[in-house]
Amino acid sequence: MTLIVEQVGFTTVQDLGRVGWAHLGVSPSGAADRTSLQLANRLLGNWSAAATLETTGGLALLAAADTGVVLTGAECNASLDDKAVAHCQPFVMPAGSLLRIPTMRNGVWTYIGIAGGIEGPERLGSRSHDTMGNIVPLSLHAGITLHPGPTRGTALGLDTPIVPSDTERLTVDVGPHMNLVGNHVCVRAFRRTWSVSGEPNRVAVRLTGPSLHPRHSEELHSFPLVRGAIQLTPADELVVMLADHPTTGGYPVVGVVSPRDVDRLAQARTGSRVTWKLAVT
Amino acid sequence: MPTEESVREPRQPRVVEYGPLASMLDHLPAGAAPHAREALLRACSTTGIRVDDVIVGARSVVATHDPGLGPVIRDIMHDVLRHSGSDYTSESAPAVEIAVRYDGIDLDDVARRCDMTTDSVIELHTKTEFVVEFCGFSPGFAYLAGLPSALVLPRRATPRTRVPAGSVAIAAQYSAVYPRESPGGWHLLGTTDHLLWDEHRRPPATLQPGTRIRFVVAS
Repeated sequence: MTLIVEQVGFTTVQDLGRVGWAHLGVSPSGAADRTSLQLANRLLGNWSAAATLETTGGLALLAAADTGVVLTGAECNASLDDKAVAHCQPFVMPAGSLLRIPTMRNGVWTYIGIAGGIEGPERLGSRSHDTMGNIVPLSLHAGITLHPGPTRGTALGLDTPIVPSDTERLTVDVGPHMNLVGNHVCVRAFRRTWSVSGEPNRVAVRLTGPSLHPRHSEELHSFPLVRGAIQLTPADELVVMLADHPTTGGYPVVGVVSPRDVDRLAQARTGSRVTWKLAVT
Repeated sequence: MPTEESVREPRQPRVVEYGPLASMLDHLPAGAAPHAREALLRACSTTGIRVDDVIVGARSVVATHDPGLGPVIRDIMHDVLRHSGSDYTSESAPAVEIAVRYDGIDLDDVARRCDMTTDSVIELHTKTEFVVEFCGFSPGFAYLAGLPSALVLPRRATPRTRVPAGSVAIAAQYSAVYPRESPGGWHLLGTTDHLLWDEHRRPPATLQPGTRIRFVVAS
């Protein structure tokens, strides 16, 4: 059970991230789409937080020995020795076979779960590559060998693959600065349709939409940010925090996206429409 | 960066929800947040309530937690507020001394803009006791409160793409030491060999919220 990285593309090692160091400026990091990482591990019978590969494409893996693998998250044009492979269906890469993930069909992040999970060094209790804080337990490059841990359970596939759904009606809770910005401004913001702008990344999703003219004029003291926090910038953009978010910020937080829906939003491509549903409290 | 003047009348401390997985203690007095963090961690530890991260802002503390624990953690936060008077005065560990070579490329510029000699900039910077108000920006980067008003300058108009690790800097009402090489828009006064960040150490950062610091001229 060993894989050799032939081509890296934009690929990192991710698990469920780091806990306990945010007060020192360390982001939670971990999978951008945590639901898909956990699904990959469940389908392989792994521990749910086992380390996987997270890629936006350009990845090629060579099996040095028979290795159990599954693909979840964004659907991709994956092939094993030039034969298409199914999404959410564990398969064995026979020794000598080559898995290619050149491009995505929908969504942004594909997870390559590996039976036994990726072993290797941890930093601050996690194997996740934090792209903003530059914490890199295992730096991937062509030629590197990945060693999975011992397998624990039995692999099973899904009859119907789970793919990233659209980003209509993301559930949002009220944010701590809603009053400051004006409740009516926030309600108006969450009634409208927004659009994902900028290149996908692991730090934040930027949304453009209506002009809001918030009454907010007071600068805030820097305060802690959490994954899913929606900051309203002076340019009337909404910036939603993802896994590698900065630990503190200064723009008002007008809402917090529910954790499962942060996973959906992380998979949204540039130009995707986003609408909201206020959580009932 | 907020200045004291930009914040109107002091607000009453408050406890609010911050999504299903976090709770916030906000509008704390200046300097109180690190103590509130300690008090919250103590209370959670004695009652066996698990918190994930307890993060400090300039005037706030945020705890992340399981979704079901929000109400009990917010109760604990209210308790922390009620008993805050004694906690804020608790004596902390001795100040960390950081030896600085005052050879920063912005030292002359800072002196000119603050209308003083470089020697008096150094004197003012070394005779001040700073305290870590909060960490952010990058792992181990501590915002050091206490900068004398005579040294308060806005950030550089154009940030540098590379500031070397160990750079000692000031901007707005803060001083800081860059723990690792990174981009940065602060005014560089000097450099230190003091290791501020090491992922293999526990804790990885030398400077944590509430830590007191003194800069001394490196011999």
